[in-house]
Amino acid sequence: MYASYIKSIALLLLCSTMAFAQQNDKKKTVKDTLIFKQKYGLRLGTDLSKLAHTFLSDDYTGFEIMGDYRLTKQIYLAGELGNEERTITNEVLDNTTKGSYFKGGIDINFYKNWLDMENMIYAGFRVGASTFSQTLNSFDVYNFYNQYWDEGQLSFEEGQEFKGLTALWGELIIGLKAEILNNLYAGVNVQLKLLVSQNEPNNFENLYIPGFNRTYDSGNFGTGYGFNLSYLVPIFKKDKVVIEENEAEE
Amino acid sequence: MPLINKTKKIIALAIGVFITVNLQSCERDDICAASTATTPRLIIEFYDVTSTEDLKSVPRLTAYGEGLVTDPNEETNPDLLLAFNENLNALELPLIIENEDIEVTSRFILERDSNLRLDEDDTTDSNIDIIDVSYIPEFEYVSRACGYKTIFTNLTVNVDTDDDSDPWISNIIVDVETIENENTVHVRILH
Repeated sequence: MYASYIKSIALLLLCSTMAFAQQNDKKKTVKDTLIFKQKYGLRLGTDLSKLAHTFLSDDYTGFEIMGDYRLTKQIYLAGELGNEERTITNEVLDNTTKGSYFKGGIDINFYKNWLDMENMIYAGFRVGASTFSQTLNSFDVYNFYNQYWDEGQLSFEEGQEFKGLTALWGELIIGLKAEILNNLYAGVNVQLKLLVSQNEPNNFENLYIPGFNRTYDSGNFGTGYGFNLSYLVPIFKKDKVVIEENEAEE
Repeated sequence: MPLINKTKKIIALAIGVFITVNLQSCERDDICAASTATTPRLIIEFYDVTSTEDLKSVPRLTAYGEGLVTDPNEETNPDLLLAFNENLNALELPLIIENEDIEVTSRFILERDSNLRLDEDDTTDSNIDIIDVSYIPEFEYVSRACGYKTIFTNLTVNVDTDDDSDPWISNIIVDVETIENENTVHVRILH
């Protein structure tokens, strides 16, 4: 009983103050309406660092196609598709990993764009999956006492291929994308990866996973980076209406 | 804005983890640490033939791979002599590897009473026994820094009695047929 009584009084008071405020605010306002063409849609690109690495180094070939699609002003659907071949050589092993990967997830844009821009400072996550093969080109058999029978370090050229390997991981990504020419964007990003599961070859291990990059003995973490160039295919054009209220002198 | 605070936290976390991962992984992955168990040696212990549970030292034992030492003398071949004129109840023997899945035999000279050969008295001499150690090497992956190691399967150990009328070794018992590490004794020699 009391509650509804108090509520109605509060409502009454509120209405009266509003009316009062309106009365007070009798200054004339002029509305300026500015309309900007806002373009958005699918942004497609490639990782330049992978291309550069391909041309500059003998032990790597790879490319990546990446795309993002604006769902809301802040949330973008994003993904990468790639193919890599990487040879890792150290004192005891020579191994070539070949395969493809796909990563999909969400980017969240924290940059408040001004007018018609589609720049991004973003953080996001990905789920990555890869199928690949490894070829053990050569390996050494470690024997601390190899001098005794004068065998030295035994090395074998094997060429054994381990096929049908797979890996699944999660990824945290942070980066930025900026428009450098009309509809052309340049971006950088760093990635932190956590391996969830992998299918390892018998009597060997996955030294490199396409998309995940090299693995470490010390844990399931991996890292990566990218320099990308992308083109915004303007599928949608939406008018962005900006209303500026200017106080006008009476 | 709460979102911006969140981003800052995410970025700080990402950088933090990135650095720790990189610091951790720099050294460990690239050097084969000496403590890593790689290719094992054959571990032998000598037991008393009359009381097979008791260790019994071989008096003045000299041991080396056959063909490696022509004049077993400590001054000339310290690295090739696995034992020299010592009273020992255990021995570690490095094995020949050659290749995978192919049976290999490593032969070792076990000389008892070496002092009798080394002394001036020509009427007494040491007792030399030769053992045949046969096995099939298999390669097993260790790590990216160490590569592979060898384990030895189908182990057999016999005394070569062809030219030996008076062997000092009475019996050889193979306890472990697959030599995977040096943590256990693989073979007992009774004498």
